Amino acid sequence: MAAIGAQVQKTGTGDALARARQRAALLPDLLVEARRILNTVNTGWHGRRKSGVGESFWQFRPYTEGEAISRIDWRRSARDDRTYIRDQEWEAAHTVWLWADPSPSMLFKSEQAQASKESRALVMILALAELLSRSGERIGFPGVTDPTSARNGAERLATSLAHAGNLSAKPDLSRIKRFSEVVLVSDFLDPVDETIATLEKLAHSGARAHLIEVYDPAEEDFPYRRRTEFVDPETGSSLTFGRAEDYADGYRRLFFARRAALSDFCKRIGWSYTTNRTDRLASEALVSVHMNMTANVGYQGGAS
Amino acid sequence: MNALPLAFGAPYLLAGLLVLPVIWWLLRVTPPRPVLEIFPPLKILAQLKQKEETPNKSPWWMTLLRLLLAAFIILALSEPVWNPRLETMSGKEPVAIVLDNGWSSNEEWTARKETAERLISDTQSDGALIYIVGTAEKANTDIGPFDANTALERLRALTVRPIPVDRSQAFARLKAVLADTKGTRLAYLNDGVDEPRAAEAIKSLEGSGIASMIWYQPSIASLVAIRQATNNANGLTVRIVRSSIDTSRNVVTVGAFDEKGRRIADTGIAFNAGETAAEGVIAAPYELRNDFHSLRIDGTAQAGATYLIDDNNKRRRVALLSGSEADLSQPLLSPLYYISRALEPFADLLRPRNSELIRAVPELLEQKPSVIIMADIGKLPAETEQTLSDWVNKGGTLIRFAGPRLAGGSEEDPLLPVRLRKGERSLGGALSWKEAQPVASFPSNGPFAGLPTPQDVTVSRQVLADPSSDLFEKSWANLADGTPLVTGETRGRGQLVLFHVTPEATWSNLPISGSFVDMLHRIVSLSSNAGTIAQDSGANSARALPPYLTLNGDGALMPPNQDTKPLITSGSNLSVTFENPPGFYGVEDAMTALNLFKPDSEINPLARPELNFPVTTARYAVDESIPLRGPLFALAAALLALDALAIIWLGGHLRRRLRTTAAASLAILLLPALIAFAPSPAQAQQNDSKPGDQAILDAINVTHLAYVITGDGPTDDISKAGLLGLSKALADSTALEPGDPIGVDPARDELAVYPLIYWPVDADANMPSSEAIAKINAYMQQGGTVLFDTRDQDAAAFNLDNSTTPSTQRLRDILSGLNIPPLEPVPGDHVLTKTFYILQDFPGRYRGSPLWVQASLNEDRRSDRPVRAGDGVSPIIITGNDFAGAWAIDANGAPLLPTIPNDPVQRVHAFRTGINIVMYMLTGNYKSDQVHVPDLLLRLGN
Repeated sequence: MAAIGAQVQKTGTGDALARARQRAALLPDLLVEARRILNTVNTGWHGRRKSGVGESFWQFRPYTEGEAISRIDWRRSARDDRTYIRDQEWEAAHTVWLWADPSPSMLFKSEQAQASKESRALVMILALAELLSRSGERIGFPGVTDPTSARNGAERLATSLAHAGNLSAKPDLSRIKRFSEVVLVSDFLDPVDETIATLEKLAHSGARAHLIEVYDPAEEDFPYRRRTEFVDPETGSSLTFGRAEDYADGYRRLFFARRAALSDFCKRIGWSYTTNRTDRLASEALVSVHMNMTANVGYQGGAS
Repeated sequence: MNALPLAFGAPYLLAGLLVLPVIWWLLRVTPPRPVLEIFPPLKILAQLKQKEETPNKSPWWMTLLRLLLAAFIILALSEPVWNPRLETMSGKEPVAIVLDNGWSSNEEWTARKETAERLISDTQSDGALIYIVGTAEKANTDIGPFDANTALERLRALTVRPIPVDRSQAFARLKAVLADTKGTRLAYLNDGVDEPRAAEAIKSLEGSGIASMIWYQPSIASLVAIRQATNNANGLTVRIVRSSIDTSRNVVTVGAFDEKGRRIADTGIAFNAGETAAEGVIAAPYELRNDFHSLRIDGTAQAGATYLIDDNNKRRRVALLSGSEADLSQPLLSPLYYISRALEPFADLLRPRNSELIRAVPELLEQKPSVIIMADIGKLPAETEQTLSDWVNKGGTLIRFAGPRLAGGSEEDPLLPVRLRKGERSLGGALSWKEAQPVASFPSNGPFAGLPTPQDVTVSRQVLADPSSDLFEKSWANLADGTPLVTGETRGRGQLVLFHVTPEATWSNLPISGSFVDMLHRIVSLSSNAGTIAQDSGANSARALPPYLTLNGDGALMPPNQDTKPLITSGSNLSVTFENPPGFYGVEDAMTALNLFKPDSEINPLARPELNFPVTTARYAVDESIPLRGPLFALAAALLALDALAIIWLGGHLRRRLRTTAAASLAILLLPALIAFAPSPAQAQQNDSKPGDQAILDAINVTHLAYVITGDGPTDDISKAGLLGLSKALADSTALEPGDPIGVDPARDELAVYPLIYWPVDADANMPSSEAIAKINAYMQQGGTVLFDTRDQDAAAFNLDNSTTPSTQRLRDILSGLNIPPLEPVPGDHVLTKTFYILQDFPGRYRGSPLWVQASLNEDRRSDRPVRAGDGVSPIIITGNDFAGAWAIDANGAPLLPTIPNDPVQRVHAFRTGINIVMYMLTGNYKSDQVHVPDLLLRLGN
């Protein structure tokens, strides 16, 4: 009887980029909610859905006393009795850090999965990079590239990742400043306490994070039966169960408990937590993350 | 008796079956190998407490599989045998055991004997009387009654005889002995082969006091026998037969063995489906075939599968010799064509590789021909004549055919049965009053007696025998007017035969008639060794041939035993009996083979007749015993393989990767093979040159004129200078530019490369050796031409007493050893007169000597023909005019010798003569055809 899961080769970034482009094409341009307008100095390419300094038309609003007469739009005002002022939209660039878990546990793919977790994570990172750089955001990968704004940000990121060599299993979050957005894609299989400790540091820096948990169907469903020896791809330690099916329920309980803990933590500090099963489409998670990034979630002030 | 007909060779090993529960318990407690799974959330899994510590069980079917495996191995080790034997012979009534011990019993004889032994041992306790009868035994053998011990001895003394069984005789004797006993039980252990009187013989047992019968019949499916072997042109045709119910034995191999039992040839013969007879050919060279002594079918041990071959079956070898060159473009005119066509079907023909008679004859004799046929050879070299004469005296048969050369040959030819008159007789021609003669019926005392008289054969020319007192006895065939057509004489142990006509259809149409084939066949079959019965078969006297070697039951040749009696050869009805088992009869050099099978013999299964007392059919015990050890081991091995597969499957090792690595390793294995079979670079061509090749190449690259080195210095110088002068003249006048003339020694040098050899006859020089004469003879026969020049015209012209000059005498001496055609001076219309220049006179230094050439074939001259038609080129030209002297020039091109009389015109004519001769050599009869060109063009124009 063949094993259900297998360790796979690391995905080439070129291949992942092509697949990421496909995924990104399914989404509209990502408009990141810029919550910290005042503190962001760089003038970006796209409006922030706020009136301010910019080139694009944003709205007409009634003239109020004291405003400069030069701002009155006479053409619009001539249509009726009121006087209107033409507002331009605020346009600014945002810094988004993207990070995909490079640890060996991600290189896992079971029979039911379409792709390995690592491959899926990379695709999602590159798809986001494509979307974000298309809308003028500055994107960076902690430990690999500094945030830069470029039309071909996804290619740059792919190239940098291809040459990056071995990446550390934990992201280097020290350079992340306030008001940045962070997208973390991982399986978050480390003990919950360790993960939350790391995230709390990030929360203290004032950045806003979006966590995407990528997991294999075998990890959730636990389809193993009979006598099975389980091996950890990271540590190499193994565990033998005489009747694996007897352990499925207990395992599943622990698995979901971990997810619930992480999700609760994120919800509490205003971050988003998205899951993606590797036998489902990557686009589903992308749409969800996209919405979370653009939505003006309730929390406005960063970590307290 | 067991309830099951199952016996164990080592029954104590069955105790091993007790171990099975232990094995079962062991198998239950050993867990299968776990499936290895990579599982990233192991840390989560590790938090779970281990619930179950006992390992998983093996699947139940795997346990069963392994238990079965162990059980089969134990069973197989105890050597079980499935062996039903139901019939017994216990009881007080007498028992008669009849065994067929004929030829077909041999292969299973042990089993039959064992069956009979069991029957005897069954009776032992009750003390019944026993009769033992072998159906292939001598008629007066004691058959009982015996007690059990004596019966066993009698049984063990019975052997298989290589003869057919005689059931009627055996049962008649049994009936006679049993006449006054009642309730006898009969066990008939037969061989399953039918014979004509079998049913009748068995039926005769009714009413002889026999109460019951057990009928043992074997399968005869594997019986196969050789029933005939005949020689033909391609090889030895072997006809074999198998038992009619056979379906299994489809292909057999027949091996041929020589006198010493060495295997020298073999062939495979396949039976067609549904046929009981088949034939095949052992293709082997006839020398090998004549060594065949016996044939045997491989894998058999019975007399029917051995076939003995005696001398009568051997093919004769016939050597062919011809006096004229073999013209391949006109096969119908070749003298040997009809002879070889007539003899090919029943004889092996030998042709000499060497064209010189002096070498060809010994070469042929080395191959030990029975017959030598010489077509129109008039003159034999003396040594050859002696060799042939010795050979005839030792038993060879020499057949000669007449022809122009023989007709012109010497009168005292010792290798002719009759003295011949010089010249030939022509019948039915324009100058003859007699019609072409038909052939009279063959004389009854000759070898052709009994052949039908050929009706359509006529003879228009023949050579005539000198009348003598014994001519009548020597005449084997006559013409209607009484002149002999074929004469023959016994010389020593051999024979001389002369056909008074040519072997091709020019003198008579005998060679193209059917009688010719019959006559040759008769003579060739007469040529067989004395002592074989072929020669005696005509005589009615019966001869007794002592046994030489006889077959035993295994089909092997053994010295005869004391029961074997001489074979009486009265007619062709030779039958195999107890006294005359199959084998060789006669003496070593003249053996007659007596074979078990006749050309029409069959092997049919014996049918069980309906009798008026109960008959039980039984089988030979050993026939039926099936050892189960092998199948059980095979079963265990199969289970083991299944188990291994199951383990691999459970362990998860059956992956696709396995398949890809297997393909890769296969490719790696095949790679060296591919490299090994890749075409290797072209090998260096083998150097097969021989010494002297360069000289021959030089001689044929450019046409050279050649002269014979006589050993006399001045003569050879003149020859060389003369041919040089002629070569220059040829180069000046014609398209031919010959190379420098070459001196040859006929005894040593290869002559075939020269078109013309100039031979100045010098009385002072040594007489050419017989070897040289032989080579010259062959050269002329192959189409070369020798120009003899006696250079004695000056002496001959003033010779008043008409005696020959020394040179001419020497020429005659030389020619006496050569096989030369009739000669004539060049006629006025000969093609030699017009090959290049129109000439009527052929002068050299002298003028006046005629130029002799081969006489043209058709002498009837026709004035309207501008030239004589003729085929080929005269092989010999003789002159006395000293051509070379006239042609000879020095280094400056000036003539060396004056012509006599000193006339420049004569020298010019001498050169023209030379040019004409060379042109004649090179173009042949082309010029004679050329004269017809105007006529042909005229016809085309019309």
